[in-house]
Amino acid sequence: MSVGVWVAVALIGGAGSVLRFYVDGLVGSAFRAGFPYGTLVVNLSGAVVLGLITGLAVAGDAALLAGTAAVGSYTTFSTWILETQRLTEERQHRKAVANIVVSLVLGVAAAALGRLIGAQL
Amino acid sequence: MNEEAIKLTSYFGERRRVAGAALAGPVLASTVFAADALLDQYGRHEVATSILLRGAEGFGAKRHPRTDMSLTLSEDLPLIAVAVDSRSRIEPLVSPTAEITGTGLVTLERARLLRDDIDPRDIEAVTPYYGGDQETKLTIYLGRQERAYRMPAFMAVCDLLYRRGIAGATALLGVDGTAHGTRERAAFFSRNAGTPMMVIAVGAGAQILRVLPELGGLLHRPLLTLEQVRICKRDGELLATPAALPAADSSGMPVWHKLMVYTSEAALHDGQPVHRAIVRRLRAAGLSGATTQRGMWGFHGDHAPHGDRLLQAGRHVPTVTIVIDSPDRIAAAFAIIDELTAEQGLVTSEWVPAIRPGGQSPRMPAVPR
Repeated sequence: MSVGVWVAVALIGGAGSVLRFYVDGLVGSAFRAGFPYGTLVVNLSGAVVLGLITGLAVAGDAALLAGTAAVGSYTTFSTWILETQRLTEERQHRKAVANIVVSLVLGVAAAALGRLIGAQL
Repeated sequence: MNEEAIKLTSYFGERRRVAGAALAGPVLASTVFAADALLDQYGRHEVATSILLRGAEGFGAKRHPRTDMSLTLSEDLPLIAVAVDSRSRIEPLVSPTAEITGTGLVTLERARLLRDDIDPRDIEAVTPYYGGDQETKLTIYLGRQERAYRMPAFMAVCDLLYRRGIAGATALLGVDGTAHGTRERAAFFSRNAGTPMMVIAVGAGAQILRVLPELGGLLHRPLLTLEQVRICKRDGELLATPAALPAADSSGMPVWHKLMVYTSEAALHDGQPVHRAIVRRLRAAGLSGATTQRGMWGFHGDHAPHGDRLLQAGRHVPTVTIVIDSPDRIAAAFAIIDELTAEQGLVTSEWVPAIRPGGQSPRMPAVPR
């Protein structure tokens, strides 16, 4: 793999995390009902895009840049888990379970939807 | 010794930045966090005690919500910076502080500062203002790793206050500040032994004054303040409403009210923690601002001092929520708080003699009592 691809992974990866910060902040301050909607929106939209990329059957460096670099840095597992833990800390057990279940169920559906769209294109 | 002091408090957002030292002329001017600029200033002026506290949730006059519920939003939490010293030392700091804080809130309150040796003459001198039937707020400033009789000093202090029947005490952890004029700032790789903490206690004046000599014996180098308050609610029981005050003092300065609500992280109202419910309801009701903070250790009412344990299902720390507004809006806020603290919680009210809600610099409170 060339140096150019590594540099591109770093740059696109950086841009992906900035985009997450922006989207999470925007959604988070719009709906402040004590539920981490920002991270949910980020992870679901990321799953759709990653499904789409897979559905398009992109190969090689393009798949690395779009999948690992862009979507990989945009979506976040650790924030999802941390925010769930914060909900349990505050005894918001229903919301904590909802955060896990809704993310998983809608996440798998979002990835499948992305793949479906990708395969149609 | 004891002296008349002024407490200068600013409320602002963590991401706020102000112009720092110019790096290379006007083209490459640097900016620094407002919190750093403020505490640098307190350090340079060797302020007797100052502390920077980070809130868990809050909003200000611009109604921008801040919360630590989401990781991204935790970047911009509400901050409270408190500086206490004699009138002559605080006075020159007021307008630079107002400038650094920008659109944030700046308040000046009167307090009595006691430090080092607390002898019977000090107690005698403060008795007419803070003793007897007067209800008093006692704030004790400590170092994070300070110890008293082989236990953390903040726990020893809370235990003592609990045994003496004080209505409540909450230990809050600072992240920066000054102690006896020396800057003590928390760092990532450090024991942070001297980083300031404060224990806020409220009780009957006579009881508070009785405990002062004991605190003097417990602590290595005591530094504490006394302020007059009114206890409005204790353990859900309504004792008094915030006093009806004129909207301005004799010199025409607007007078505002401050409510402090001490609840527990474990206390829920309608499924959400009481302190979060309070901030959200007050924001929806159009109040000018509120900030809630998590303590480390403390008590209110008759349950023993408590904090987090190593293995636990939910947090057990005490919380403090501060609400400052004009007297008419405080009445509306108190109605909401009264409803949300129907079963537990300690609520106090104080009046804030000088305030800067936006733009101009506050004037020093007119006459000392």
